[in-house]
Amino acid sequence: MPLPAFTLHRPRSAADAIALLDEDCLAYSGGTELLMAMRMGLIRPTALVDLKRIDELNTITLGADRLLIGAGASHDRVAGDALVAEHAALLATAERLVGNARVRAQGSIGGNICFAEPRSDVATVLVALDATVLLQSASSRRSVPATEFFLGPYWTAREPGELLTAISIPLPAPAGVYLKFQTVERPTVAVAAVALPEGGYRIVVGAVGDLPVSADYAQLTAVDAADLAARVEPVSDLTGSERYKRHVTEVFVRRAVAALAGGR
Amino acid sequence: MTTSEHLNVTAEINGVNVTESVETRATLAQFLREQLGLTGTKLSCEMQVCGVCSVLVDGEPVSACTYLAADVDGRRVETVEGLANPGGLHPLQQSFVDNFALQCGFCTPGFLMMATALLRRNPDPSEEDVKEYLDGNICRCTGYEPIVHAVLDAARTMRGAT
Repeated sequence: MPLPAFTLHRPRSAADAIALLDEDCLAYSGGTELLMAMRMGLIRPTALVDLKRIDELNTITLGADRLLIGAGASHDRVAGDALVAEHAALLATAERLVGNARVRAQGSIGGNICFAEPRSDVATVLVALDATVLLQSASSRRSVPATEFFLGPYWTAREPGELLTAISIPLPAPAGVYLKFQTVERPTVAVAAVALPEGGYRIVVGAVGDLPVSADYAQLTAVDAADLAARVEPVSDLTGSERYKRHVTEVFVRRAVAALAGGR
Repeated sequence: MTTSEHLNVTAEINGVNVTESVETRATLAQFLREQLGLTGTKLSCEMQVCGVCSVLVDGEPVSACTYLAADVDGRRVETVEGLANPGGLHPLQQSFVDNFALQCGFCTPGFLMMATALLRRNPDPSEEDVKEYLDGNICRCTGYEPIVHAVLDAARTMRGAT
């Protein structure tokens, strides 16, 4: 089925891109989610702003106490980047497992989270890492924690005139494990389990419900897998019923905790 | 807005420089198949899940069904038509023949291009590496085992040949 018609802009700077963005003129990078949604008629922009020619959106840099990942970096780029491997290895792990090899080459990390598909591998890990996202409009810049950025399926705190320019991960980033159960293109259940740098542990259960569910514990032995499985709100679909997904959630939380305990 | 918005695309397609006016909304698959007549690249799910439309852009695998033709401007595209040379089939193609790694053949161009991308980044993949890299490609004749063997065999041949 053909795509509906649109105008294509190709700015060379983030400022030029931001000046174009509004409700009908959308940021476009890999297109792995946007073009599909347009083909299905779910989104009908009159224009797309191609971000791929904007070098400043494609950098991965180390600050004094943060790792900054440009929103335009592809999943492959993030997965293979030396700074990410050294400072936020869990994100590299998850990025290596996103979608399929073509999606990883085409799709950007910023596009992934702006689309806010509830089964995003990236979202689950960013919540575990206490990441914030940087949003820039013509008149303002703001930094939003990942937990406040994701508001629901396909719904984020980003305003139409804002561009997500970078993802900021505070350092030292927690180390941990990312486990998921997946039979199709996206996970049925994803669990990130990390040891927090200030002490304690965090379990994030993603993909199974509309939003990631996060819980912190003083001890790993305090993690209650059954409680987490009761707290998620699974969406019944072809990959399983609500009851089945709660069961898989409990199993994968237990496995993630065991893997984290075993790795320490 | 008109439905006929166009832009010029200059790209290297299988080693040949091409400049064409394309519709802004045209996918790479439409451009290759309908405008350039390169019908080796197939279309099936059109949701970048099945992999039959896999081609390489600057060496990276992409789903041509969900990729704008406009985005290959200034870049290098490789399709299944570019694999063989006048001397014969590409080692991957020969290996697919030798291993009976196809039945209907519809998914084969996509598998060949993904395998090409894999062997360039990893000339000596394990069986697990091959399965993982090709897990975004679907064969409905269910011939996965011979496909994996064909890629591993081709990898051996290509390592020996260089």
